[in-house]
Amino acid sequence: MGERFEQEFEELKTMVLDMGKLSTEMLDKSVRSLKNNDMELADWVISKKGEIARMDDDIETRALRLLTLYQPVATDMRTIACCLKLNTYLARVGRYGKDIACVTKALKGKKHVSKLVSLPYMAKLVTDMLNDALYSFEHFDVSKMEDFSERDDDVDHLRWSIFRECLSYMMEEPKYIKQCANYIMVARYLERCGDNACKMNEKIHYMVTGVRVEVDKDYTAECCEDGGEPCQNKQEQ
Amino acid sequence: MVKKIALSVKNLNLWYGSNHALIDIDMDVYEKKVTALIGPSGCGKSTLIRCFNRMNDVVDNCKVKGAINWKDKNIYGKGVDVIEVRKQIGMIFQKPNPFPKSIYDNVAYGPRLQGVRGKKKLDAIVHKSIKDAALWDEVHDRFSDSAMSLSGGQQQRLCIARTLAIEPEIILMDEPTSALDPISTSKIEDLVFELKKKYTVIIVTHNMQQAARVSDHTGFMYLGEMIEYDRTQKIFERPKKRLTEKYISGRFG
Repeated sequence: MGERFEQEFEELKTMVLDMGKLSTEMLDKSVRSLKNNDMELADWVISKKGEIARMDDDIETRALRLLTLYQPVATDMRTIACCLKLNTYLARVGRYGKDIACVTKALKGKKHVSKLVSLPYMAKLVTDMLNDALYSFEHFDVSKMEDFSERDDDVDHLRWSIFRECLSYMMEEPKYIKQCANYIMVARYLERCGDNACKMNEKIHYMVTGVRVEVDKDYTAECCEDGGEPCQNKQEQ
Repeated sequence: MVKKIALSVKNLNLWYGSNHALIDIDMDVYEKKVTALIGPSGCGKSTLIRCFNRMNDVVDNCKVKGAINWKDKNIYGKGVDVIEVRKQIGMIFQKPNPFPKSIYDNVAYGPRLQGVRGKKKLDAIVHKSIKDAALWDEVHDRFSDSAMSLSGGQQQRLCIARTLAIEPEIILMDEPTSALDPISTSKIEDLVFELKKKYTVIIVTHNMQQAARVSDHTGFMYLGEMIEYDRTQKIFERPKKRLTEKYISGRFG
């Protein structure tokens, strides 16, 4: 491949990394806006929705252009294929960030039911996974993603623990229903972002090694069997 | 499914005078599969394909060591009938080379040389070969026209029909589409895909995408050595050798 390919190829990778940074920042700031009732921060996150969509389109256009013009193979092909998937996952993460910021706006002026600890902690776990996936993509090194299955399990368990905690509050005091229903929704969004980080892991693993892996397939299989019921509940039955 | 071996190359070395052009080549070519040989100019892929039907015998100062086993015998062994080898292992060249004869006579040339007589018999062979070479629709109503009146792509398919007429087992193709336009190239590629149902095909190509599209196995050669030989999907998706990766990614060669 010539210099032009190398240049456009490097630009594509940079575009994915930029999108990754913005999506992760949106997710992180959305949860901080929720925790601190910070409407300004929520507005900032919501304002970035269009930018994420534009980045998604730009990456797709650039990747398709490279595939069409240069017909890359081996590592180049795997990297471009990976970029084409990462932009989708990152767009979803960004959109979940925007959705959480909308929750912040919906709960404007309302005091939290209790000190918000679990959701920010869950967000930290998820953003760490996203950052590690982006690091792996940038440095062509999968070592930081080896424990993603366990880390995703932690995120999933947190989601159900938040669900049960919120359920208790709602049963105790119906006036908390709106807030708790929103917390449950936010936990669900964060859990989906963790799943997206796992999907990113799979694609980056393929990019680096050429081998396809499935992260956390046991969880997927169990949940599918149960029609979406939480795995932990299944174990408890 | 166990793949049957059509040709087995064992420790093949070839010298043009003092130039060691092929070095310790080992590979199995599988029956009714397409095997592509790729590599930069001068790497030895054309030399190797020419070894498969002993066409290097006509080159001065050419010395071959090692074996190419075909039907349980070494084609470089003593007492091998070279004419029979070349009949069973046909070759298509880079540039179409039809004889300055009619379309019909081009295809009937080989069978006539082998002693086939009678219009009915020859007609049957010519028609079948032209159909198998995917040329029937374009020439069935003008068999007596000169082969030189055909387009480059049609001439190349006529050469394939000429090869098929003597019923070979293996077809060697040395850059068969490098002199053709994209439409003719695509027709030849489709044809190669059809041909592998009946024949073993070995193709030398400079076009990486062509190798990826048409072949089942690919061998990458460099400076006379077979650097990597594997399933085509593996070579183009996940090559084992860094050199292969660099070549197929267009970073040298």
